Amino acid sequence: MRVGVLCSRVRVEEKLIFKALRQRGVDGERVDANAITLGLSGGINGYDVVLVRCLSHSRALYASKLLGDNGQRVINAYDVIAASGDKLLTSLALAKRGVPTPRTQVAFTAQSALETIEQMGYPVVLKPLNGSWGWLLAKINDRDAAETILEHKHTLGGYRHSIFYIQEYIEKPGRDIRGFVVGGEVIAAIYRQASHWITSTARGGDATACPITPEIEHLSRAAAEAVGGGVVAVDILETSDGRLLVCEVNHTAEFRNSIAPTGVDIAACIVDYALEVAAMEPGR
Amino acid sequence: MGILCSRIRLEEKLIFKALGERGVELNRLDERHLALQLQANGLSKPYDLIWCRAISHSRALYALSVLNGWGIRAVNSYQVVHTCGDKVLTSLALIQHNVPTPRTVVALSVEAALRAIEEMGYPVVLKPAVGSWGRLLSKVNDRETAEAVLKHKATLGGPMHSVFYIQEYVDKPSRDIRTLVIGDEVVYAMYRRSAHWITNTARGGEASPCPLSPEISELSLAAAQAVGGGILAVDLMETGNGRLLVSEVNHTPEFHGAMQAVGVDIAGRMADYVLQMVHCRRGLC
Repeated sequence: MRVGVLCSRVRVEEKLIFKALRQRGVDGERVDANAITLGLSGGINGYDVVLVRCLSHSRALYASKLLGDNGQRVINAYDVIAASGDKLLTSLALAKRGVPTPRTQVAFTAQSALETIEQMGYPVVLKPLNGSWGWLLAKINDRDAAETILEHKHTLGGYRHSIFYIQEYIEKPGRDIRGFVVGGEVIAAIYRQASHWITSTARGGDATACPITPEIEHLSRAAAEAVGGGVVAVDILETSDGRLLVCEVNHTAEFRNSIAPTGVDIAACIVDYALEVAAMEPGR
Repeated sequence: MGILCSRIRLEEKLIFKALGERGVELNRLDERHLALQLQANGLSKPYDLIWCRAISHSRALYALSVLNGWGIRAVNSYQVVHTCGDKVLTSLALIQHNVPTPRTVVALSVEAALRAIEEMGYPVVLKPAVGSWGRLLSKVNDRETAEAVLKHKATLGGPMHSVFYIQEYVDKPSRDIRTLVIGDEVVYAMYRRSAHWITNTARGGEASPCPLSPEISELSLAAAQAVGGGILAVDLMETGNGRLLVSEVNHTPEFHGAMQAVGVDIAGRMADYVLQMVHCRRGLC
Protein backbone atom coordinates (compact mmCIF):
# COMPACT_ATOMS: atom_id res chain seq x y z
CA MET A 1 0.00 0.00 0.00
CA ARG A 2 1.46 3.38 -1.02
CA VAL A 3 -0.10 6.56 0.27
CA GLY A 4 1.17 9.95 -0.85
CA VAL A 5 0.57 13.15 1.06
CA LEU A 6 0.85 16.17 -1.20
CA CYS A 7 1.80 19.25 0.77
CA SER A 8 4.44 21.93 1.04
CA ARG A 9 4.59 22.80 4.70
CA VAL A 10 4.09 19.87 7.05
CA ARG A 11 1.76 21.27 9.68
CA VAL A 12 0.58 19.54 12.83
CA GLU A 13 -2.28 18.04 10.79
CA GLU A 14 0.06 16.36 8.30
CA LYS A 15 2.30 15.05 11.09
CA LEU A 16 -0.76 13.47 12.70
CA ILE A 17 -1.75 11.94 9.37
CA PHE A 18 1.75 10.42 8.92
CA LYS A 19 1.59 9.08 12.47
CA ALA A 20 -1.81 7.48 11.92
CA LEU A 21 -0.51 5.89 8.71
CA ARG A 22 2.51 4.47 10.52
CA GLN A 23 0.27 3.05 13.25
CA ARG A 24 -1.57 1.17 10.50
CA GLY A 25 1.66 -0.18 9.09
CA VAL A 26 1.57 2.11 6.05
CA ASP A 27 4.48 4.31 5.06
CA GLY A 28 3.06 7.64 4.07
CA GLU A 29 5.24 9.43 1.54
CA ARG A 30 5.45 13.15 1.54
CA VAL A 31 5.14 14.58 -1.94
CA ASP A 32 6.57 18.09 -1.85
CA ALA A 33 4.28 20.44 -3.74
CA ASN A 34 7.15 22.94 -3.99
CA ALA A 35 9.32 20.43 -5.84
CA ILE A 36 7.08 18.37 -8.11
CA THR A 37 6.14 19.13 -11.66
CA LEU A 38 3.27 17.43 -13.38
CA GLY A 39 2.78 16.74 -17.06
CA LEU A 40 -0.57 16.52 -18.74
CA SER A 41 -0.38 12.76 -18.62
CA GLY A 42 0.65 12.59 -15.00
CA GLY A 43 3.92 12.84 -13.18
CA ILE A 44 3.60 11.15 -9.86
CA ASN A 45 2.25 7.66 -10.22
CA GLY A 46 2.01 4.44 -8.38
CA TYR A 47 0.25 5.64 -5.27
CA ASP A 48 -2.86 3.83 -4.17
CA VAL A 49 -4.17 7.14 -3.00
CA VAL A 50 -2.85 10.71 -2.65
CA LEU A 51 -4.08 12.95 0.12
CA VAL A 52 -4.06 16.54 -1.14
CA ARG A 53 -3.10 18.71 1.83
CA CYS A 54 -1.83 21.86 0.09
CA LEU A 55 -2.40 25.11 1.95
CA SER A 56 -2.85 26.93 -1.31
CA HIS A 57 -6.27 26.47 -2.85
CA SER A 58 -5.06 26.93 -6.41
CA ARG A 59 -2.37 24.28 -5.96
CA ALA A 60 -4.81 21.85 -4.42
CA LEU A 61 -7.23 22.53 -7.25
CA TYR A 62 -4.83 21.95 -10.14
CA ALA A 63 -2.87 19.14 -8.51
CA SER A 64 -6.04 17.17 -7.84
CA LYS A 65 -7.15 17.74 -11.44
CA LEU A 66 -3.85 16.62 -12.98
CA LEU A 67 -3.59 13.59 -10.72
CA GLY A 68 -7.24 12.61 -10.89
CA ASP A 69 -7.46 12.88 -14.67
CA ASN A 70 -4.56 10.45 -14.93
CA GLY A 71 -6.28 7.81 -12.92
CA GLN A 72 -4.64 8.63 -9.61
CA ARG A 73 -7.09 8.38 -6.71
CA VAL A 74 -7.03 11.66 -4.78
CA ILE A 75 -8.64 12.93 -1.60
CA ASN A 76 -10.13 15.40 -2.02
CA ALA A 77 -11.21 14.94 -5.60
CA TYR A 78 -10.99 17.88 -7.97
CA ASP A 79 -14.76 18.42 -8.00
CA VAL A 80 -14.86 18.66 -4.20
CA ILE A 81 -11.99 21.15 -4.10
CA ALA A 82 -13.49 23.21 -6.92
CA ALA A 83 -16.92 23.38 -5.30
CA SER A 84 -15.78 24.02 -1.74
CA GLY A 85 -12.85 26.31 -2.54
CA ASP A 86 -15.06 28.92 -4.16
CA LYS A 87 -17.74 30.44 -1.94
CA LEU A 88 -20.04 31.18 -4.83
CA LEU A 89 -19.88 27.61 -6.14
CA THR A 90 -20.36 26.30 -2.61
CA SER A 91 -23.45 28.45 -2.08
CA LEU A 92 -24.86 27.30 -5.40
CA ALA A 93 -24.20 23.64 -4.63
CA LEU A 94 -25.86 24.03 -1.22
CA ALA A 95 -28.88 25.88 -2.61
CA LYS A 96 -29.31 23.28 -5.36
CA ARG A 97 -29.48 20.49 -2.77
CA GLY A 98 -31.85 22.44 -0.58
CA VAL A 99 -29.28 22.89 2.19
CA PRO A 100 -30.22 26.04 4.14
CA THR A 101 -27.65 28.78 3.66
CA PRO A 102 -27.61 32.55 4.28
CA ARG A 103 -29.24 34.86 1.74
CA THR A 104 -26.56 35.68 -0.83
CA GLN A 105 -26.33 38.06 -3.78
CA VAL A 106 -23.60 38.30 -6.39
CA ALA A 107 -22.82 41.55 -8.22
CA PHE A 108 -20.27 42.29 -10.91
CA THR A 109 -19.65 46.01 -10.37
CA ALA A 110 -19.13 48.16 -7.30
CA GLN A 111 -22.20 50.21 -8.29
CA SER A 112 -24.56 47.25 -8.59
CA ALA A 113 -23.05 45.81 -5.42
CA LEU A 114 -23.89 49.02 -3.56
CA GLU A 115 -27.44 48.93 -4.86
CA THR A 116 -27.99 45.34 -3.81
CA ILE A 117 -26.44 45.98 -0.37
CA GLU A 118 -28.82 48.89 0.16
CA GLN A 119 -31.71 46.62 -0.82
CA MET A 120 -30.61 43.80 1.47
CA GLY A 121 -30.18 46.18 4.41
CA TYR A 122 -27.34 46.39 6.92
CA PRO A 123 -25.34 44.65 8.21
CA VAL A 124 -24.09 42.47 5.38
CA VAL A 125 -20.87 40.54 4.94
CA LEU A 126 -18.63 40.83 1.87
CA LYS A 127 -16.34 37.88 1.19
CA PRO A 128 -13.74 37.18 -1.46
CA LEU A 129 -14.69 34.03 -3.39
CA ASN A 130 -11.56 32.22 -2.26
CA GLY A 131 -9.61 32.65 0.89
CA SER A 132 -9.32 31.02 4.27
CA TRP A 133 -8.81 32.10 7.86
CA GLY A 134 -11.25 34.95 7.46
CA TRP A 135 -9.08 36.67 4.84
CA LEU A 136 -10.59 40.04 3.86
CA LEU A 137 -14.02 39.28 5.27
CA ALA A 138 -15.77 42.59 5.75
CA LYS A 139 -18.79 43.24 7.94
CA ILE A 140 -20.56 46.24 6.47
CA ASN A 141 -22.71 48.16 8.94
CA ASP A 142 -23.64 51.23 6.95
CA ARG A 143 -23.47 52.94 3.60
CA ASP A 144 -20.22 54.78 4.41
CA ALA A 145 -18.54 51.42 5.01
CA ALA A 146 -20.09 49.87 1.89
CA GLU A 147 -18.88 52.71 -0.33
CA THR A 148 -15.30 52.65 0.87
CA ILE A 149 -14.90 48.86 1.00
CA LEU A 150 -16.34 48.50 -2.50
CA GLU A 151 -13.98 51.23 -3.76
CA HIS A 152 -11.03 49.43 -2.16
CA LYS A 153 -12.10 46.14 -3.76
CA HIS A 154 -12.47 47.84 -7.11
CA THR A 155 -8.97 49.28 -6.71
CA LEU A 156 -7.63 45.87 -5.70
CA GLY A 157 -9.15 44.60 -8.91
CA GLY A 158 -8.06 41.42 -10.61
CA TYR A 159 -9.77 38.09 -10.72
CA ARG A 160 -10.37 37.73 -7.00
CA HIS A 161 -11.95 41.08 -6.27
CA SER A 162 -14.12 41.67 -9.33
CA ILE A 163 -16.99 39.46 -8.20
CA PHE A 164 -18.87 40.87 -5.25
CA TYR A 165 -20.23 38.13 -2.98
CA ILE A 166 -22.68 39.70 -0.57
CA GLN A 167 -24.28 37.76 2.25
CA GLU A 168 -26.78 38.65 4.94
CA TYR A 169 -25.08 38.93 8.32
CA ILE A 170 -26.21 36.22 10.72
CA GLU A 171 -26.26 37.34 14.35
CA LYS A 172 -24.51 34.35 15.93
CA PRO A 173 -24.50 33.53 19.66
CA GLY A 174 -20.74 34.27 19.93
CA ARG A 175 -19.91 31.00 18.21
CA ASP A 176 -20.42 28.91 15.14
CA ILE A 177 -20.35 25.16 14.56
CA ARG A 178 -17.90 23.18 12.49
CA GLY A 179 -18.81 19.62 11.53
CA PHE A 180 -16.09 17.28 10.26
CA VAL A 181 -17.36 14.93 7.59
CA VAL A 182 -15.21 12.03 6.40
CA GLY A 183 -16.54 9.73 3.71
CA GLY A 184 -20.14 10.59 4.48
CA GLU A 185 -19.81 10.18 8.26
CA VAL A 186 -19.94 13.11 10.66
CA ILE A 187 -17.03 12.16 12.90
CA ALA A 188 -16.85 15.23 15.14
CA ALA A 189 -18.26 18.68 15.67
CA ILE A 190 -16.96 21.69 17.54
CA TYR A 191 -18.18 25.07 18.58
CA ARG A 192 -15.82 27.86 17.66
CA GLN A 193 -16.35 30.56 20.27
CA ALA A 194 -15.10 34.06 19.74
CA SER A 195 -16.08 37.51 20.83
CA HIS A 196 -15.22 38.61 17.26
CA TRP A 197 -17.76 37.95 14.53
CA ILE A 198 -15.03 36.08 12.62
CA THR A 199 -14.85 32.82 14.56
CA SER A 200 -11.96 31.12 12.73
CA THR A 201 -9.76 29.29 15.26
CA ALA A 202 -6.78 30.56 13.26
CA ARG A 203 -7.92 34.01 14.41
CA GLY A 204 -8.25 33.09 18.06
CA GLY A 205 -11.63 31.35 18.17
CA ASP A 206 -11.73 28.71 20.93
CA ALA A 207 -12.79 25.16 20.05
CA THR A 208 -15.09 23.23 22.38
CA ALA A 209 -17.01 19.99 21.82
CA CYS A 210 -20.39 20.31 20.17
CA PRO A 211 -22.88 17.47 20.50
CA ILE A 212 -23.69 15.99 17.09
CA THR A 213 -27.45 16.46 17.13
CA PRO A 214 -29.49 14.78 14.40
CA GLU A 215 -29.93 18.20 12.76
CA ILE A 216 -26.19 18.98 12.77
CA GLU A 217 -25.48 15.50 11.48
CA HIS A 218 -28.03 15.79 8.72
CA LEU A 219 -26.89 19.26 7.63
CA SER A 220 -23.19 18.42 7.71
CA ARG A 221 -23.71 15.29 5.62
CA ALA A 222 -25.98 17.09 3.20
CA ALA A 223 -23.47 19.91 2.77
CA ALA A 224 -20.58 17.48 2.27
CA GLU A 225 -22.60 15.54 -0.26
CA ALA A 226 -23.54 18.75 -2.04
CA VAL A 227 -19.89 19.49 -2.79
CA GLY A 228 -19.10 15.88 -3.68
CA GLY A 229 -18.14 14.15 -0.44
CA GLY A 230 -14.58 13.38 0.62
CA VAL A 231 -12.98 14.93 3.68
CA VAL A 232 -14.51 18.32 4.46
CA ALA A 233 -15.31 20.63 7.34
CA VAL A 234 -18.75 22.21 7.27
CA ASP A 235 -19.32 25.61 8.91
CA ILE A 236 -22.78 26.07 10.37
CA LEU A 237 -24.34 29.21 11.82
CA GLU A 238 -27.08 29.25 14.45
CA THR A 239 -29.65 31.97 13.84
CA SER A 240 -31.32 33.76 16.73
CA ASP A 241 -34.60 32.02 15.90
CA GLY A 242 -32.97 28.61 16.27
CA ARG A 243 -32.36 27.65 12.65
CA LEU A 244 -29.08 26.26 11.37
CA LEU A 245 -27.52 27.58 8.16
CA VAL A 246 -24.50 26.17 6.35
CA CYS A 247 -22.22 28.99 5.30
CA GLU A 248 -19.01 27.35 4.12
CA VAL A 249 -17.40 24.02 3.32
CA ASN A 250 -13.61 23.62 3.64
CA HIS A 251 -11.64 21.08 1.66
CA THR A 252 -8.31 21.09 3.51
CA ALA A 253 -9.38 21.98 7.00
CA GLU A 254 -7.04 22.36 9.93
CA PHE A 255 -8.16 20.17 12.81
CA ARG A 256 -5.38 20.33 15.42
CA ASN A 257 -7.53 22.34 17.85
CA SER A 258 -10.52 20.04 17.47
CA ILE A 259 -8.96 16.78 18.64
CA ALA A 260 -8.65 17.44 22.37
CA PRO A 261 -12.12 18.94 22.92
CA THR A 262 -13.92 16.21 20.93
CA GLY A 263 -11.71 13.28 21.90
CA VAL A 264 -11.90 12.15 18.27
CA ASP A 265 -8.71 11.10 16.51
CA ILE A 266 -9.56 13.04 13.36
CA ALA A 267 -6.31 12.11 11.59
CA ALA A 268 -7.05 8.42 12.18
CA CYS A 269 -10.54 8.81 10.71
CA ILE A 270 -9.09 10.52 7.62
CA VAL A 271 -6.45 7.79 7.23
CA ASP A 272 -8.96 4.95 7.66
CA TYR A 273 -11.11 6.53 4.98
CA ALA A 274 -8.09 7.01 2.70
CA LEU A 275 -7.09 3.36 3.11
CA GLU A 276 -10.65 2.32 2.32
CA VAL A 277 -10.55 4.39 -0.87
CA ALA A 278 -7.10 2.98 -1.69
CA ALA A 279 -8.38 -0.57 -1.36
CA MET A 280 -11.29 -0.01 -3.73
CA GLU A 281 -11.38 -1.77 -7.04
CA PRO A 282 -9.85 0.44 -9.74
CA GLY A 283 -12.44 2.44 -11.61
CA ARG A 284 -14.71 2.89 -8.60
CA MET B 1 7.18 79.74 -21.35
CA GLY B 2 6.72 76.04 -21.23
CA ILE B 3 3.50 74.41 -20.09
CA LEU B 4 3.94 70.98 -18.67
CA CYS B 5 0.76 69.04 -19.29
CA SER B 6 -0.56 65.92 -20.94
CA ARG B 7 -4.31 66.04 -21.28
CA ILE B 8 -5.63 69.45 -22.29
CA ARG B 9 -8.63 70.07 -20.11
CA LEU B 10 -10.81 73.16 -20.22
CA GLU B 11 -8.44 74.74 -17.66
CA GLU B 12 -5.42 74.35 -19.93
CA LYS B 13 -7.29 75.71 -22.95
CA LEU B 14 -8.16 78.82 -20.96
CA ILE B 15 -4.58 79.17 -19.76
CA PHE B 16 -3.22 78.90 -23.33
CA LYS B 17 -5.72 81.51 -24.45
CA ALA B 18 -4.88 83.90 -21.59
CA LEU B 19 -1.15 83.59 -22.26
CA GLY B 20 -1.67 84.04 -26.01
CA GLU B 21 -3.65 87.21 -25.40
CA ARG B 22 -0.69 88.47 -23.38
CA GLY B 23 1.73 87.82 -26.22
CA VAL B 24 3.60 84.98 -24.57
CA GLU B 25 5.59 82.54 -26.68
CA LEU B 26 4.27 79.19 -25.54
CA ASN B 27 5.52 75.67 -25.84
CA ARG B 28 3.62 72.69 -24.59
CA LEU B 29 5.69 69.96 -22.99
CA ASP B 30 3.85 66.68 -22.66
CA GLU B 31 5.40 64.99 -19.66
CA ARG B 32 4.46 61.61 -21.09
CA HIS B 33 6.90 62.19 -23.94
CA LEU B 34 9.75 63.63 -21.92
CA ALA B 35 12.94 61.76 -21.21
CA LEU B 36 14.97 64.08 -19.07
CA GLN B 37 18.75 63.97 -18.93
CA LEU B 38 19.81 64.36 -15.35
CA GLN B 39 23.30 65.57 -16.25
CA ALA B 40 22.35 68.64 -18.26
CA ASN B 41 19.40 70.63 -19.52
CA GLY B 42 18.41 68.76 -22.66
CA LEU B 43 15.41 70.91 -23.63
CA SER B 44 15.60 72.29 -27.14
CA LYS B 45 14.60 75.82 -26.09
CA PRO B 46 15.54 78.09 -23.20
CA TYR B 47 12.62 78.74 -20.88
CA ASP B 48 12.04 81.67 -18.58
CA LEU B 49 9.60 79.57 -16.66
CA ILE B 50 7.69 76.33 -16.78
CA TRP B 51 4.10 76.25 -15.66
CA CYS B 52 3.18 72.84 -14.39
CA ARG B 53 -0.35 71.68 -15.17
CA ALA B 54 0.38 67.96 -15.19
CA ILE B 55 -2.53 65.92 -13.84
CA SER B 56 -0.50 63.04 -12.49
CA HIS B 57 1.10 64.02 -9.22
CA SER B 58 4.06 61.65 -9.55
CA ARG B 59 4.82 62.81 -13.09
CA ALA B 60 4.57 66.46 -12.06
CA LEU B 61 6.75 65.87 -9.03
CA TYR B 62 9.58 64.10 -10.82
CA ALA B 63 9.52 66.31 -13.91
CA LEU B 64 9.77 69.33 -11.61
CA SER B 65 12.57 67.75 -9.60
CA VAL B 66 14.68 67.51 -12.75
CA LEU B 67 13.77 71.02 -13.99
CA ASN B 68 14.54 72.28 -10.53
CA GLY B 69 17.92 70.58 -10.71
CA TRP B 70 18.64 72.36 -13.98
CA GLY B 71 17.79 75.66 -12.33
CA ILE B 72 14.64 76.29 -14.37
CA ARG B 73 12.03 78.24 -12.46
CA ALA B 74 8.68 76.51 -12.20
CA VAL B 75 5.25 77.37 -10.93
CA ASN B 76 4.26 75.75 -8.78
CA SER B 77 7.73 75.01 -7.53
CA TYR B 78 9.04 71.54 -6.93
CA GLN B 79 8.94 72.14 -3.16
CA VAL B 80 5.30 73.23 -3.22
CA VAL B 81 4.21 70.27 -5.33
CA HIS B 82 6.21 67.98 -3.06
CA THR B 83 4.45 69.27 0.06
CA CYS B 84 0.92 69.61 -1.35
CA GLY B 85 0.95 66.24 -3.08
CA ASP B 86 1.38 64.44 0.20
CA LYS B 87 -1.25 64.92 2.91
CA VAL B 88 1.19 64.07 5.68
CA LEU B 89 3.61 66.79 4.55
CA THR B 90 0.77 69.26 4.03
CA SER B 91 -0.60 68.68 7.53
CA LEU B 92 2.85 69.02 9.02
CA ALA B 93 3.46 72.29 7.16
CA LEU B 94 0.09 73.65 8.30
CA ILE B 95 0.74 72.70 11.92
CA GLN B 96 4.25 74.19 11.84
CA HIS B 97 2.74 77.46 10.65
CA ASN B 98 -0.06 77.38 13.24
CA VAL B 99 -2.77 77.00 10.62
CA PRO B 100 -5.75 75.26 12.27
CA THR B 101 -6.26 71.82 10.77
CA PRO B 102 -8.16 68.69 11.88
CA ARG B 103 -6.58 66.42 14.47
CA THR B 104 -4.47 63.92 12.52
CA VAL B 105 -2.49 60.80 13.36
CA VAL B 106 -0.13 58.91 11.10
CA ALA B 107 0.36 55.18 11.74
CA LEU B 108 2.73 52.86 9.95
CA SER B 109 1.10 49.48 10.51
CA VAL B 110 -2.42 48.06 10.54
CA GLU B 111 -2.20 47.33 14.27
CA ALA B 112 -0.94 50.80 15.18
CA ALA B 113 -3.58 52.35 12.91
CA LEU B 114 -6.39 50.39 14.59
CA ARG B 115 -5.15 51.47 18.02
CA ALA B 116 -4.93 55.09 16.92
CA ILE B 117 -8.46 54.99 15.48
CA GLU B 118 -9.89 53.47 18.66
CA GLU B 119 -8.15 56.16 20.71
CA MET B 120 -9.35 58.96 18.47
CA GLY B 121 -12.95 57.72 18.62
CA TYR B 122 -15.45 57.32 15.77
CA PRO B 123 -16.07 58.54 13.18
CA VAL B 124 -12.67 59.10 11.64
CA VAL B 125 -11.56 59.60 8.07
CA LEU B 126 -8.79 57.57 6.46
CA LYS B 127 -7.07 59.08 3.45
CA PRO B 128 -4.29 57.87 1.19
CA ALA B 129 -1.33 60.20 1.78
CA VAL B 130 -1.14 60.75 -1.98
CA GLY B 131 -4.27 61.05 -4.09
CA SER B 132 -6.95 63.42 -5.32
CA TRP B 133 -10.58 63.72 -6.36
CA GLY B 134 -11.69 62.09 -3.12
CA ARG B 135 -10.44 58.69 -4.22
CA LEU B 136 -10.27 55.95 -1.59
CA LEU B 137 -11.32 58.25 1.22
CA SER B 138 -12.97 56.24 3.98
CA LYS B 139 -15.37 57.43 6.61
CA VAL B 140 -15.02 54.90 9.38
CA ASN B 141 -17.92 54.79 11.81
CA ASP B 142 -17.07 51.72 13.88
CA ARG B 143 -14.40 49.18 14.69
CA GLU B 144 -15.67 46.59 12.23
CA THR B 145 -15.32 49.06 9.38
CA ALA B 146 -11.87 50.07 10.62
CA GLU B 147 -10.74 46.44 10.59
CA ALA B 148 -12.13 45.79 7.12
CA VAL B 149 -10.76 48.99 5.58
CA LEU B 150 -7.31 48.51 7.11
CA LYS B 151 -7.14 44.90 5.91
CA HIS B 152 -8.09 45.97 2.40
CA LYS B 153 -5.45 48.72 2.48
CA ALA B 154 -2.84 46.21 3.65
CA THR B 155 -3.82 43.95 0.74
CA LEU B 156 -3.56 46.86 -1.70
CA GLY B 157 -0.05 47.28 -0.31
CA GLY B 158 2.68 49.40 -1.80
CA PRO B 159 4.05 52.59 -0.29
CA MET B 160 0.80 54.45 -0.87
CA HIS B 161 -1.32 52.18 1.30
CA SER B 162 1.23 51.35 3.99
CA VAL B 163 1.07 54.78 5.59
CA PHE B 164 -2.19 55.29 7.42
CA TYR B 165 -3.34 58.92 7.58
CA ILE B 166 -6.09 59.12 10.15
CA GLN B 167 -8.06 62.29 10.69
CA GLU B 168 -10.93 63.30 12.95
CA TYR B 169 -14.17 63.53 11.02
CA VAL B 170 -15.40 67.12 10.91
CA ASP B 171 -19.18 67.28 10.79
CA LYS B 172 -19.54 69.86 8.04
CA PRO B 173 -22.79 71.68 7.18
CA SER B 174 -23.12 69.67 3.90
CA ARG B 175 -20.50 71.88 2.29
CA ASP B 176 -16.89 72.90 2.48
CA ILE B 177 -15.11 76.00 1.23
CA ARG B 178 -12.52 76.13 -1.51
CA THR B 179 -10.47 79.24 -2.07
CA LEU B 180 -7.98 80.05 -4.77
CA VAL B 181 -4.78 81.77 -3.74
CA ILE B 182 -2.57 83.33 -6.40
CA GLY B 183 0.63 84.74 -4.90
CA ASP B 184 -0.46 86.82 -1.92
CA GLU B 185 -4.02 87.31 -3.06
CA VAL B 186 -7.16 85.27 -2.44
CA VAL B 187 -8.94 85.40 -5.77
CA TYR B 188 -12.21 83.82 -4.75
CA ALA B 189 -13.94 81.56 -2.31
CA MET B 190 -16.68 79.13 -3.16
CA TYR B 191 -18.81 76.62 -1.37
CA ARG B 192 -18.85 73.06 -2.55
CA ARG B 193 -22.19 71.64 -1.53
CA SER B 194 -22.96 67.97 -1.43
CA ALA B 195 -25.25 65.65 0.46
CA HIS B 196 -22.28 63.27 0.51
CA TRP B 197 -19.50 63.88 3.04
CA ILE B 198 -17.04 63.93 0.12
CA THR B 199 -17.68 67.36 -1.39
CA ASN B 200 -15.26 67.29 -4.35
CA THR B 201 -16.84 68.76 -7.45
CA ALA B 202 -15.25 65.86 -9.31
CA ARG B 203 -17.66 63.67 -7.30
CA GLY B 204 -20.73 65.77 -7.84
CA GLY B 205 -20.28 68.56 -5.30
CA GLU B 206 -21.97 71.78 -6.49
CA ALA B 207 -20.07 75.05 -6.60
CA SER B 208 -21.63 78.32 -5.41
CA PRO B 209 -20.09 81.65 -4.37
CA CYS B 210 -18.94 82.09 -0.79
CA PRO B 211 -18.38 85.56 0.71
CA LEU B 212 -14.68 86.11 1.23
CA SER B 213 -14.61 86.92 4.94
CA PRO B 214 -11.43 88.24 6.58
CA GLU B 215 -11.03 84.92 8.41
CA ILE B 216 -11.33 82.84 5.23
CA SER B 217 -8.93 85.16 3.48
CA GLU B 218 -6.39 85.13 6.30
CA LEU B 219 -6.49 81.34 6.70
CA SER B 220 -6.18 80.73 2.97
CA LEU B 221 -3.13 82.95 2.70
CA ALA B 222 -1.56 81.38 5.77
CA ALA B 223 -2.15 77.88 4.35
CA ALA B 224 -0.72 78.84 0.97
CA GLN B 225 2.33 80.37 2.62
CA ALA B 226 2.77 77.32 4.84
CA VAL B 227 3.28 75.07 1.81
CA GLY B 228 5.52 77.58 0.03
CA GLY B 229 3.13 79.81 -1.93
CA GLY B 230 2.16 79.96 -5.61
CA ILE B 231 -1.10 79.10 -7.33
CA LEU B 232 -2.97 77.01 -4.80
CA ALA B 233 -6.47 75.88 -3.95
CA VAL B 234 -7.14 75.70 -0.23
CA ASP B 235 -9.91 73.52 1.24
CA LEU B 236 -11.50 74.73 4.44
CA MET B 237 -14.09 73.09 6.65
CA GLU B 238 -16.55 74.75 9.01
CA THR B 239 -16.83 72.96 12.33
CA GLY B 240 -20.04 72.65 14.33
CA ASN B 241 -18.86 75.37 16.71
CA GLY B 242 -18.08 77.89 14.02
CA ARG B 243 -14.34 77.46 13.64
CA LEU B 244 -12.59 77.05 10.32
CA LEU B 245 -10.05 74.32 9.67
CA VAL B 246 -7.81 73.92 6.65
CA SER B 247 -7.96 70.34 5.41
CA GLU B 248 -5.99 70.32 2.16
CA VAL B 249 -3.96 72.47 -0.20
CA ASN B 250 -4.00 71.52 -3.90
CA HIS B 251 -1.15 72.31 -6.24
CA THR B 252 -2.82 71.97 -9.65
CA PRO B 253 -6.35 73.15 -9.08
CA GLU B 254 -9.18 72.50 -11.48
CA PHE B 255 -11.31 75.60 -11.73
CA HIS B 256 -13.93 75.09 -14.44
CA GLY B 257 -16.53 74.47 -11.71
CA ALA B 258 -15.62 77.70 -9.97
CA MET B 259 -15.53 79.99 -13.01
CA GLN B 260 -19.26 80.25 -13.49
CA ALA B 261 -19.93 80.30 -9.77
CA VAL B 262 -17.63 83.20 -8.97
CA GLY B 263 -17.46 85.14 -12.26
CA VAL B 264 -13.72 85.79 -12.18
CA ASP B 265 -11.33 85.39 -15.14
CA ILE B 266 -9.30 82.82 -13.26
CA ALA B 267 -6.98 81.83 -16.10
CA GLY B 268 -6.23 85.51 -16.76
CA ARG B 269 -5.38 86.14 -13.13
CA MET B 270 -3.12 83.11 -13.07
CA ALA B 271 -1.41 84.21 -16.30
CA ASP B 272 -0.80 87.71 -14.92
CA TYR B 273 0.80 86.25 -11.81
CA VAL B 274 3.03 83.90 -13.77
CA LEU B 275 4.15 86.70 -16.12
CA GLN B 276 4.89 88.88 -13.12
CA MET B 277 7.19 86.12 -11.87
CA VAL B 278 9.00 86.07 -15.21
CA HIS B 279 9.49 89.83 -15.10
CA CYS B 280 10.86 89.64 -11.58
CA ARG B 281 13.13 86.82 -12.64
CA ARG B 282 14.54 89.15 -15.28
CA GLY B 283 15.07 91.82 -12.67
CA LEU B 284 12.25 93.96 -14.06
CA CYS B 285 10.38 94.42 -10.81
